[in-house]
Amino acid sequence: MRLSVFLSHQWLSFWRGRNANKSLALQIIIGFFYLLIFLEIAGLGIALPFFIKELLPGKDPIVVFTSYIIYYYLLGLLARFQLQELPSLSIQPYLAQNISRNTMLRFLHVRSLVHVINFLPLFVFVPFTLVIIAPTYGALSATCFLILQLALVINNHFITMFIKRKSVNNSWYFITVLLLIAGLKGLDYLGVLSFEQTSSYIFMLVLKYPMLCLLGVAMAVITFLVNNRYLRNHLYLEELVNEKKLNISKHYSLLDKYGEIGEIISLELKLIFRNKRPRSTVIISGVILLYGLFFYPQYLKSENFTMLFLFALLVTGIFITNYGQFLFSWQSGHFDGLMSYHLNMKQYIRAKFSLFVVVCSLQFLLSTFYVLMGWRIFPIQLAAFLYSIGVNTFVTIYAATFNYKYLNLTKSASMNFQGIGAVQWLQSLLVAFGPVLVFYLLNRFAGYWVAVGTISLIGIAGLAFNRMLINWLAGQFHFRKHKILEGFRAR
Amino acid sequence: MITINQLKKSYKGIAVVDIDHLEIHPGEIIGLVGNNGAGKTTFFRLLLDLIRSNEGEIWSKGNPVTTTEAWKSYTAAYIDEGFLIDYLTPEEYFYFVGKLNQLSKADVDDFLQQYLPFFDDAILDKKKFIRDYSKGNQFKIGIIAALLTRPELLILDEPFANLDPTTQLRLVDMIKTLATDHRMCIIVSSHDINHVSEVSSRILLMERGKIIKDIAGGDTAYEALVDYFKVK
Repeated sequence: MRLSVFLSHQWLSFWRGRNANKSLALQIIIGFFYLLIFLEIAGLGIALPFFIKELLPGKDPIVVFTSYIIYYYLLGLLARFQLQELPSLSIQPYLAQNISRNTMLRFLHVRSLVHVINFLPLFVFVPFTLVIIAPTYGALSATCFLILQLALVINNHFITMFIKRKSVNNSWYFITVLLLIAGLKGLDYLGVLSFEQTSSYIFMLVLKYPMLCLLGVAMAVITFLVNNRYLRNHLYLEELVNEKKLNISKHYSLLDKYGEIGEIISLELKLIFRNKRPRSTVIISGVILLYGLFFYPQYLKSENFTMLFLFALLVTGIFITNYGQFLFSWQSGHFDGLMSYHLNMKQYIRAKFSLFVVVCSLQFLLSTFYVLMGWRIFPIQLAAFLYSIGVNTFVTIYAATFNYKYLNLTKSASMNFQGIGAVQWLQSLLVAFGPVLVFYLLNRFAGYWVAVGTISLIGIAGLAFNRMLINWLAGQFHFRKHKILEGFRAR
Repeated sequence: MITINQLKKSYKGIAVVDIDHLEIHPGEIIGLVGNNGAGKTTFFRLLLDLIRSNEGEIWSKGNPVTTTEAWKSYTAAYIDEGFLIDYLTPEEYFYFVGKLNQLSKADVDDFLQQYLPFFDDAILDKKKFIRDYSKGNQFKIGIIAALLTRPELLILDEPFANLDPTTQLRLVDMIKTLATDHRMCIIVSSHDINHVSEVSSRILLMERGKIIKDIAGGDTAYEALVDYFKVK
């Protein structure tokens, strides 16, 4: 059996996966989205020399660029650990077939290399090299520079794969690399060793003596061989799939007081902390909390309250949209059970609503620190918060009753479009831009306080009527329950 | 306990379940048999209101299962892994199900004590999530969790298929005791005509959605079933 057969099977599995069966329109949108990202990154590569010239006049753009390359690769190691997955399971059906080990090894290597993160850097390096390095240092240096980058990408790739296969404890690895970066940065700060100078020194040396790139290639070959050897000796399913026996049997005794609702929320928390995809979704919500740091100051300065409101909505309420778009899908694996347990549907919906309120309140509390940037942030954030828990919660739960797609919890969340349909896009638009439009109009024609007040009141009204709304949502849920169940069973 | 009239479920015009009339009484052990595609699992899902019928209604103690929820308090089922919450440990799962039925932790622990032999030391205190257990052990967890709620109606889909011989025999005994001692109504589907005719007080034979035979359990049932399945 040849490698191409493996790859064609992978290709089929990609297109025939149950969840890949999206509407054509959605596939086009997603494809367009990817294209846009790639074009933007390539554009960045082209524009970078001119940016650097503009920002740091008098400095050589190549020196500036190369001084950050080592940072990039170190951070890349961190990112890869989160983003990349071992393709081991995909060889399961072949292990018992008449296929040589070498073919399987080759397949595993090639399959693992096919990942966005391996192609993305080339979209920066190639344009940058063509635009400025090639004209300055000539074709040979430019080619060798690119070969070196390619080698370093592959090197990083196989280091990640190896460490993942060795199933080194995730957080230890993370902390080690982070400490390494912090340490190097610290040395840089103390003036012991300039990190950036070292980085640019190395790469400038390669431009001067192009053949030095072979050292990088040698490094890549070594990591590849180490990986290959390890794999060859461990080509057994139980050794390939690193089973995590680690078990934090955490119990949320605080929630015991709240009876059935508390129990459902505690179940949901376990779901979040013990499964990869919901966990990373929540982490992303946490990161978005920091958006304020980057976006608030400029809009505060220009008194653009509508934009401030948009970001306040994100900062205080992103969890609702991010987590809530799959509100029921998270539990798609055991939805049959959930629907036949002794569980009241109104209580179930109320538990979901309570989860939103609890997490958003937490987000809101943390975000109050932004008041240090200017007091006018606070009323806007309060309005956004009230609107989020008073309106967006219900809109999101309603939209979730239209999501009939099974979700695999063990896959990573980034760039993962499984379970996303037209409803989710529509819902995101409604949840974010509906209130922003209202805010804009009111702010424009009636002023800041009217806008803040009205939005807050709408939110409070939603909260006041929560009992009614939850009953109504339970009805809507019951109405589509069988469709949801059917969709979740089709994996 | 259960009354069914003119129940019909079809996919793309083909009837998968098509039952004219059926009464199931407390204390009965119903063995549901039939080849693949006979509609057994679909029938179970209809009983649990997990799919919507095209025609007809299922009445549980006089209430329709589609529009009421009271039946959930006395009905328990294990059909497949879709009934387990796989990121919990077995203990956490039992406590969760217990809590939904107003059982304290101590109640659940007491309950589990009597089923220790059934678990055969392979389930409790293993510090593993349910997803890391073998299929057979997952089945044990599911069955015990279903019993935990002290149901009046218990539904098990192919419980014998995934269990080891010792546990199969234990389950046969368990089902019999539960029905006689607690007047529990139990519906079990199975491909194992040996077990099913031994355990059931009544056997329903399904073919293409229809119940074509409704006979008493026991040796005569075994022979009748062998006759039916052999001809094909």
